[in-house]
Amino acid sequence: MVENRPLANILTHAVLILGVFFLCFPVWMALVASTHGPEAMARAPIPLWFGDQGLANYREILSGGVAHAGGVPVGKMMLNSLLMALGITFGKIAVSLLAAFAIVYFRFPFRMGFFWMIFVTLMLPVEVRILPTYDVMVKLGMLNTWSGLIVPLIASATATFLFRQFFLTIPDELVEAARIDRAGPMRFFWDILLPLSRTNIAAIFIILFIYGWNQYLWPLIITNDEDLYTVVMGISRMVNAGESRPVWHLIMATSVLAMLPPVLVVLAMQRLFVKGLVETEK
Amino acid sequence: MQKRVTFNTKTLPYLLVGPQIAVTLVFFFWPSWQALESALYIEDAFGLSRDFVGLRNFRDLLNDDVYLASFGVSFFFGIAVTFLTMALALALASAANRVLRAATAYRTMLIWPYAVAPALAGVIWYFLMNPSLGIASYWLDAVGVDWNHYVNGDQALLLVIIAASWKQISYNFLFFLAGLQSIPQSLIEAAAIDRAGPMRRFWTIIFPLLTPTTFFLLVVNLVYAFFDTFSLIHATTQGGPANATSTLVVKVYQTGFVGQDYGSSAAQSVILMAIVIAMTFVQFRYIDRRVNY
Amino acid sequence: MAHLSLKSLTKVYPGNVTAVEAADLDVADGEFVVLVGPSGCGKSTMLRMIAGLERITSGTLKIDDKVVNDVEPGHRNIAMVFQNYALYPHMSVRRNMAYGLKNEGKPKAEIEARINEAAQMLRLTEYLDRKPRQLSGGQRQRVAMGRAIVRQPAVFLFDEPLSNLDAKLRTELRAELKALHDRLRGTFVYVTHDQVEAMSLADRIVVMNAGRIEQIGAPIALYSRPETRFVAEFIGSPAMNFVEGVLGEGGAVLVSEGREVLQFDRPIGLAGSGFVVGLRPEHMKPSKGGFARLRFRRVFDEQLGADTLIHGTLDSGPTRVILRVDGALHLPDAERLEVGVAREHLHLFDPKTGLRIDT
Repeated sequence: MVENRPLANILTHAVLILGVFFLCFPVWMALVASTHGPEAMARAPIPLWFGDQGLANYREILSGGVAHAGGVPVGKMMLNSLLMALGITFGKIAVSLLAAFAIVYFRFPFRMGFFWMIFVTLMLPVEVRILPTYDVMVKLGMLNTWSGLIVPLIASATATFLFRQFFLTIPDELVEAARIDRAGPMRFFWDILLPLSRTNIAAIFIILFIYGWNQYLWPLIITNDEDLYTVVMGISRMVNAGESRPVWHLIMATSVLAMLPPVLVVLAMQRLFVKGLVETEK
Repeated sequence: MQKRVTFNTKTLPYLLVGPQIAVTLVFFFWPSWQALESALYIEDAFGLSRDFVGLRNFRDLLNDDVYLASFGVSFFFGIAVTFLTMALALALASAANRVLRAATAYRTMLIWPYAVAPALAGVIWYFLMNPSLGIASYWLDAVGVDWNHYVNGDQALLLVIIAASWKQISYNFLFFLAGLQSIPQSLIEAAAIDRAGPMRRFWTIIFPLLTPTTFFLLVVNLVYAFFDTFSLIHATTQGGPANATSTLVVKVYQTGFVGQDYGSSAAQSVILMAIVIAMTFVQFRYIDRRVNY
Repeated sequence: MAHLSLKSLTKVYPGNVTAVEAADLDVADGEFVVLVGPSGCGKSTMLRMIAGLERITSGTLKIDDKVVNDVEPGHRNIAMVFQNYALYPHMSVRRNMAYGLKNEGKPKAEIEARINEAAQMLRLTEYLDRKPRQLSGGQRQRVAMGRAIVRQPAVFLFDEPLSNLDAKLRTELRAELKALHDRLRGTFVYVTHDQVEAMSLADRIVVMNAGRIEQIGAPIALYSRPETRFVAEFIGSPAMNFVEGVLGEGGAVLVSEGREVLQFDRPIGLAGSGFVVGLRPEHMKPSKGGFARLRFRRVFDEQLGADTLIHGTLDSGPTRVILRVDGALHLPDAERLEVGVAREHLHLFDPKTGLRIDT
């Protein structure tokens, strides 16, 4: 720092601590609420410290689920979320790696046409064309299927652009050396391009995993089969459960579980995550 | 744009882009085309027949007070979320950039909400602010604010604004921090030698240099507020009470899936697409400019 | 080992940009040929056409009497060393060297043997299991050479391999390269923009300019008998001085803009109006003698130790001239000097075509 002012230092930390409090407090309350029984949720104010029902609550939702949300066990929904998230993540990475490879390392008719086709998908999130997309799913008979849940979300312009960007930074001489070393295109892809992309793949994996896990609207409209319910979308069924009052202690327990995997991924791979996020979008 | 040397295989590149193009065609171009087309028809309630009506769906929308109101809600929501998020994130990033030693610790505690699904962010805040048992509404009551987002539309809108901003701060924080860290320290020192105090330095040196980041985040936040927050609103207020939190995307969904009005929903989709395309265009103008920096 | 033959090899880039125009060149088996020229002269394009990294627009390229115009680089039996090394960053030194052999389907034992031999030759044995980023620039370039050697190619191609190294290392590796060539007796084609490198390494130098071959010859031939003004200027450092003018009365004096710039002992016996006379700095002696004489106006001296470079102009005009004299020589502190050049050190060129004129 340029100058040393004790007051400014205190102020800086005060701002940061307030920020941390603002961001952490809601989740703290969710954690606390998830350890109380229904009677604690019946009157204000709700407790600010942990209760003793935690274990029971989590056991209840993991195995039995919440009765008036269809009673799908949260464990089952978590597994579904995981499958969907991994499916989307791996699918996207595979599809965009190949597409970026083609666009950067080959010259072929309609190359730019393809490039722009992929590019425009950046512009229109699924939310804006939700009904016609649903219609297409009906026509293809993909409602209530795993492929319906995953495949449409696999085309990702973002990942394709990230990989394209990265491939362009790989020195030309490496391809040339590989060609002189008798490596064909696919061998070059496997032996050289993929190993070199490891860090980038890992970084984008985190971001795509979060994206996949947090999907809400898509599973909501594509599935009404309980076997395919995912946890993020399952929670909204608990909150808006019709006539009965929401069971907040269980909803909060479910919320905590639902946010746990992506939050853990971010915290555990913080450096990769930051790199992936900041470099992808810039 | 491309490598100096490329492989000469003829069919392989098509096989490589194939999967992505196929998915894009089927799940992107086909539905988008359908939206464009259906926007020009009115379908009967059972979806058995439809009549070509030209631009009538659009005309109806522009004469529909509820739809126009959702425009207003969207823009207010978008601007409020964007402003709130960016102001808080910039303050936090500036502070984090100042503390050298604890920066990583603070960063860890500030970035994780990025991973929380918007729907979950909504549900948790919904719970915190719950009029009968939420802790925040209890505190508000103590200072004389009667909070009830089930009845009060303004409060409902405020609730979703806070929840949406809460989730988005982490993202903005990271970009502002990266932007701040890329400003050379020597520039700040030069300004200090030129007798600029910390506040003056911020507004005359740091903030202008952050312009590219700020502009980028502005567009990203608007897109986030317009589209990604659908799940947040749908999982909590569902657009209510009395359409007070019904943004354009919520309206598309409700018209289509709840109201079963295919033509109107498609017309709304088309309008939304036009908005996104316009925003993307603006973003690109800005990227072009940034290249010339 | 093999020989290489280029017949009117041409490269035209989209937009009608001719990079190499009708180049003819024969490289004998075991010969060390250096392509040299300023940047953009087409030397790299030529090398890349030989490598197969650049499509040949027209002409034929033969390796060992086999036309290889449309053969993939991996199947041309060549190996290449790049300026930026182009080592695979994620592979160890060993795997870098093995990669091409593996792709050829060579048996493991043979690959191992070849790598060990090359590593020994290049003093890389103890680094075989390191990654490229753990090596210094010089070591990396040796690995790149090793990768070429293990292939036992018909032709070795080098694309400015020493340009990324610092001056000291460059001199060291230059000597190593020369020794390597003596040892392998391979056919080497080597591209550089550095004429010193070209002079010290080559059996024959190919000087290129604007997509065309200016002259092919042994280093000393290029130095002592440059066929064009371009070659004369490019080879030698500091560059050759040029004095332009027309022959005056009796043919024993060169006149420019009405002033005498150069006097000869006797008429040089040439017809024609204008000439460019080339004089190498090291051949210009500050003395009253010599076949050709000029008056020199001294501006400043640059003492390099062994030599002293004296910068100045012709006394008669603005033409810049540099003299290179022995560092131990004590010159009078005069502003004007008489300078003489021996007969055999005069180079005459046609001012229009730039071609050498023999006297």
